Amino acid sequence: MLRLIEGAGFSIALATIGGIIGFILAVGLASARYFAVPVAAQVAVVYVEFVRNTPLIVQLFFVAFGLPMLLGYAWPFWAHAALALTLNFSAYFAEILRAGLFSIAKGQIEGARALGLPTLLLYRKVIFPQAVAAVFPSLNSQFIFLFLTTGIVAEIGVPDLTNAGLYIDSRTFRSFEVFTVLTIMYVVIAVGFKVVLSLLQRRLFAWQASR
Amino acid sequence: MTDAFVSILGKPYGIVLAQLLTATQYTIYLTLIAFLGGGLIGAVVATAKITTSRTARTLASGYIWLFQSVPLLMLLFLLGLGVPRLIGMNINSWLAASVALTLYASAYLSEVWAGAVNGVAKGQWEAGFALGLRFRPVLWTIIAPQALRLAIAPTVGFMVQIIKGTSLAYIIGFHDLMTIGRRWANAPVPGTEPFVIFPLMALIYFCLCFPLSKLSRRLERRLGAVHGADKTAAG
Repeated sequence: MLRLIEGAGFSIALATIGGIIGFILAVGLASARYFAVPVAAQVAVVYVEFVRNTPLIVQLFFVAFGLPMLLGYAWPFWAHAALALTLNFSAYFAEILRAGLFSIAKGQIEGARALGLPTLLLYRKVIFPQAVAAVFPSLNSQFIFLFLTTGIVAEIGVPDLTNAGLYIDSRTFRSFEVFTVLTIMYVVIAVGFKVVLSLLQRRLFAWQASR
Repeated sequence: MTDAFVSILGKPYGIVLAQLLTATQYTIYLTLIAFLGGGLIGAVVATAKITTSRTARTLASGYIWLFQSVPLLMLLFLLGLGVPRLIGMNINSWLAASVALTLYASAYLSEVWAGAVNGVAKGQWEAGFALGLRFRPVLWTIIAPQALRLAIAPTVGFMVQIIKGTSLAYIIGFHDLMTIGRRWANAPVPGTEPFVIFPLMALIYFCLCFPLSKLSRRLERRLGAVHGADKTAAG
């Protein structure tokens, strides 16, 4: 049981790292496309499409086994897992953010321009906050969905929740019970994330309620 | 088929690529099974979700919630390892993988379809009723055709999700792309670079998925614009 709780903590930590760094990367990717930065925008398109159209497990193996073989480095397994999840999350978030950025009403941009706001400030103060607020619910549900896929990292031997379950299963052979408990734990954590994120939403975007 | 690849690519790579493509067929079969099975159950659940009966709606919502909250990996473990040990009998990996993916697909497809029906403007229902039609004719002659427009794009898009989902089936012994890939990475074929397998697998999945997601986005732009469709998409 202790192992399961440790595993759950690991899974939560991994998903949180992936979520936060992935979001930061996604801001870069989506911004590159929004401003149509030459080269960067095209790279972002190819990257997002590639990540979104290949299974996470292939990406995980590529990051955990392929890249180290190719470049000749060795990281701890959890770092590979974190990197793979971060890359995976970033592509999905970038696609949602991009949709948000392009959905901002023209009038908002024209209004800010009329006030003489320079482009970057306009982006940071007017467009970006509204875009994030608009797509925050989608980001939330995408994050929950991605969290549910993180069990895959158990495949490279990282001590996450699934891995803990598999360990217990291999000791007890009570597979049905073990995986039922595991499933319930995933669902509970997902609901927990949902609650935290909706609280966060209410705090971050309090101004939205008054519109 | 193997001979053709060997003659084009030379020995080690030709054999491996031929193996990979053979395994890709299983990926495609599994996707189709899950899509058809999931579509069938999904249609039933979606119908339950849009009826006027509150019990049916609650049950349908519960079903969708349950199978969307349970990780696919856990469904596979439960059906591939859990149930066989519970009943003390082996389950074929085809069967276990198909059932798990079907359940997974049914939850998402039913939500997409029920969402599409709800996406049709309320006035359409009212207009139908005002003409004196009953629930069922209104649904089939007025609402369903409009809902279909909204549903096609996300349905095609969800196929991508299923294809990617099949990659997990190898953990319960399903012989697909991943199995070959892992075997090659663990025990490299002499004369090959083992890391090549990962980009190669990624490329095969990409070739399966990308046309579908492209198609889905095109359809969305062509069909969804009419009524200003809800732009949320699962996954």
